[in-house]
Amino acid sequence: MKTTWKDIAPVPTSQEFLDIVLSRTQRRLPTQIRAGFKISRIRAFYIRKVKYTSETFAEKLSAILDGFPRLNDIHPFHKDLLNTLYDADHFRIALGQLNTAKGLIETVARDYIRLLKYGQSLFQCKQLKRAGLGRMATICKRLKDPLVYLEQVRQHLGRLPGIDPNTRTLLICGYPNVGKSSFLKNISRADVDVQPYAFTTKSLFVGHFDYKMLRFQAIDTPGILDHPLEEMNTIEMQSITAIAHLRSAIMYFMDLSEQCGYSVSAQMALFESIKPLFANKLVFIVINKIDVMRPEDLDAETQEKLQKLLKSANVELLQLSCTTTEGLMNVRNAVCDRLLAERNAQKLTAGTNASGEVTGRLGDVLRRIHVAQPLGGTPWEPAIPEGVKNKMKYDKDDPERPKLMRDIEEENGGAGVFNVNLRDKYLLENDEWKNDKIPETLDGKNVYDFIDPDIEAKLAALEEEEARLDEEGYYDEDEDIEDAEEADISYKAELIREKRQLIRNENKMRKSLKNRAVIPRSKKAVDLEKMESALEKAGYDTSAISARARSQSRPRGRSRAGTEDASNADAMEVDETPKQRLSRSLSVAARRAQSTNRRDDGVTDETARSKAERLQKLGQKKMNRMARQGEADRHQTAAKSKWLLAGKRGMGSTRSR
Amino acid sequence: MAVRAAFENSNEVGVFSTLTNSYALVAVGASENFYSVFEAELQDVIPITHCTIAGTRIVGRLTAGNKKGLLVPTSTTDQELQHLRNSIPDTVKIQRIEERLSALGNVICANDHVALVHPDLERESEEIIADVLGVEVFRQTIADNVLTGSYMALSNQGGIVHPKTSIQDQDELSSLLQVPLVAGSVNRGSPVVGAGMVVNDWMAVTGLDTTATELSVVESVFKLGEGMGPGAINTTNKETMVESFY
Repeated sequence: MKTTWKDIAPVPTSQEFLDIVLSRTQRRLPTQIRAGFKISRIRAFYIRKVKYTSETFAEKLSAILDGFPRLNDIHPFHKDLLNTLYDADHFRIALGQLNTAKGLIETVARDYIRLLKYGQSLFQCKQLKRAGLGRMATICKRLKDPLVYLEQVRQHLGRLPGIDPNTRTLLICGYPNVGKSSFLKNISRADVDVQPYAFTTKSLFVGHFDYKMLRFQAIDTPGILDHPLEEMNTIEMQSITAIAHLRSAIMYFMDLSEQCGYSVSAQMALFESIKPLFANKLVFIVINKIDVMRPEDLDAETQEKLQKLLKSANVELLQLSCTTTEGLMNVRNAVCDRLLAERNAQKLTAGTNASGEVTGRLGDVLRRIHVAQPLGGTPWEPAIPEGVKNKMKYDKDDPERPKLMRDIEEENGGAGVFNVNLRDKYLLENDEWKNDKIPETLDGKNVYDFIDPDIEAKLAALEEEEARLDEEGYYDEDEDIEDAEEADISYKAELIREKRQLIRNENKMRKSLKNRAVIPRSKKAVDLEKMESALEKAGYDTSAISARARSQSRPRGRSRAGTEDASNADAMEVDETPKQRLSRSLSVAARRAQSTNRRDDGVTDETARSKAERLQKLGQKKMNRMARQGEADRHQTAAKSKWLLAGKRGMGSTRSR
Repeated sequence: MAVRAAFENSNEVGVFSTLTNSYALVAVGASENFYSVFEAELQDVIPITHCTIAGTRIVGRLTAGNKKGLLVPTSTTDQELQHLRNSIPDTVKIQRIEERLSALGNVICANDHVALVHPDLERESEEIIADVLGVEVFRQTIADNVLTGSYMALSNQGGIVHPKTSIQDQDELSSLLQVPLVAGSVNRGSPVVGAGMVVNDWMAVTGLDTTATELSVVESVFKLGEGMGPGAINTTNKETMVESFY
């Protein structure tokens, strides 16, 4: 169960809250919208704004609601403490207002989204969004007071001491100024303010101390005055809450010397009146300031009243003095012992069922506190060497302390630098042997047995021989063998290489390629003439080849136009009539246009082309509609006036601008 | 005397060291801090040896030993064995065991007189343990765990077993071993007491996380320190024990 609330997120004020939400909407959502956009897009844009804003409001509000403790889910002590400190009703109402605001904002968002769905123009949509966000902002502004209050609660809650209601607790209570805080200060390290006036302690203070290997918490409470619960103020009510709810040993402090300003009888009367709160708890009456006044020194009448009180309430009387620390530890230990015994007894009864059998976790604990002793037989003698008994206790602050490996390590450069010599501690007959070389063994065999003692000499001899052979030219290559045939081959190869290089260079020098792609020669058409000349140069007869090529070649454009006019082939010799010339040139022109106009490529006629164009337009329709501004689009930056663009003024006059 | 220590931020001191009445083995670490914890208490009393077993630092889990002997697994190299032989007194026998369960520290829990071993240990190994360590060997489980060495810390004066061991089992084991036994934990509730601490007849080393209550149990049951006895656990310290464990 949670006992501290130090990690609640800060609660913003209503204005900050609004700024957070609206700036988030502005930052996270697109902001560009044009009147020319399709209306559905404009509507979606503004609906998204309204929805996102309401979601952010809801998210932030529920984060605040979840951060604070729910009064019904926490320990009754904390619940009552929160009630006394912050007024549970106020707290609940504040959280309730936040919750209501969350609902209202969601309703507003829903309404305006509905309206936006029927928005007719950009302007209309924008005004609807403005109205919606404005109403949300108004709702948020109305949360001003609860938000401020919750922030204050958060700050105070984070500073409350972490009191665990279930652990071992000593609770110190009594009239103001009877020495409660000085007792806590004496038994723990808690830094409590001790002053000689009433109500120095205005809230609960916690100190911790160890006793019997266990951690105890001691709680110092503000002083209580003897009046009815309804008249108690917040400070006193904190004490009452702690007394009522904590499972603890209660130490009721009394000052018999009456230095605190309250009479002994008044102090006894207070004990009587808060006694109902002590039910089922360990209670001790602790007499403080015994250096001034002891119970034995009381007058007979008061003493009798005190004894009666002790007897009737069945409580123990303890005595101490915080100034002289007399009896201080005795009181603490007595209370702790009683508390432990009480808690133990409770646990043991809780862990056993009606028939007295141990159940659950108690069984585990009992198993662990059982000491199994051997049945009969003699115990083994401990084998403790003599040296142990007279060995000095090691003290790391003693300058005469024995030197440890750690000290040696520090002297030699510390961890990571120092390397421990494992052989230093060898137990050998002769200490000089410690660092002797030890034969290396591998697979149970001595590696040294497999080493040739003359290996160095043999290697030297081999190297010497090698050097001698090298010197004598034994390894020199003899490449003088040459015959005519080989010479011829190498000469021809040289020629071929040279020729290739020339061709390559020529092609490199050629500018005609410009930037065009290099087409492999095998794919290129070769002029017949070029082929013929090349072949002739190489000394071949080309007549057969050229005859074949000509027979296979397809007559092209012009010549085909010629064959079309085969009917008047005879007339070829004579001049063409103007009409003939015209018709031929027209037909040629038309054919040429067909082969170059890309628009007509792949379509048969005019209708097919228009149909294709229509389809193309249809395909691009969506693309055009969704068109985004790209870098290729023309863009004119906002025209800035001169003063926006000009730099800083120099030393000259302002006229320069 | 019980001390808290950590080997390179690990609480499992029983993994990185072996402690007996006549020698101590400590893993080679990056610094000498862990070694010096042993040195401060044992210097000039018994030899403390840096060592590795099969090149690893988990010497506590791979070896088992007592005053009379030391058992190392088959993976120990010849050089490591030689180093151990040179570092440990000649009165201590060292034996390398051919055993399938090679983490001997996990399967053997021994003091100078008796040993509890894993029920699946080979017969030959059992004989070697009896000969080398000079002990009576019993095949046992501790709270249904077969790894006796991991779940039990044992000296001639007492023992700690797995915290969930039943009272009946504790009584049986105690009669078998002739030492007082307690079910306990180390290192803030760790049940692997054998790996979490090492102990001999006059000192114990536990992990750094061990609580004050756990340490008091260790000191009581192993009779470490003046006037300490296992009786304190269920008499003077009973309330504290119930408070901290329940």
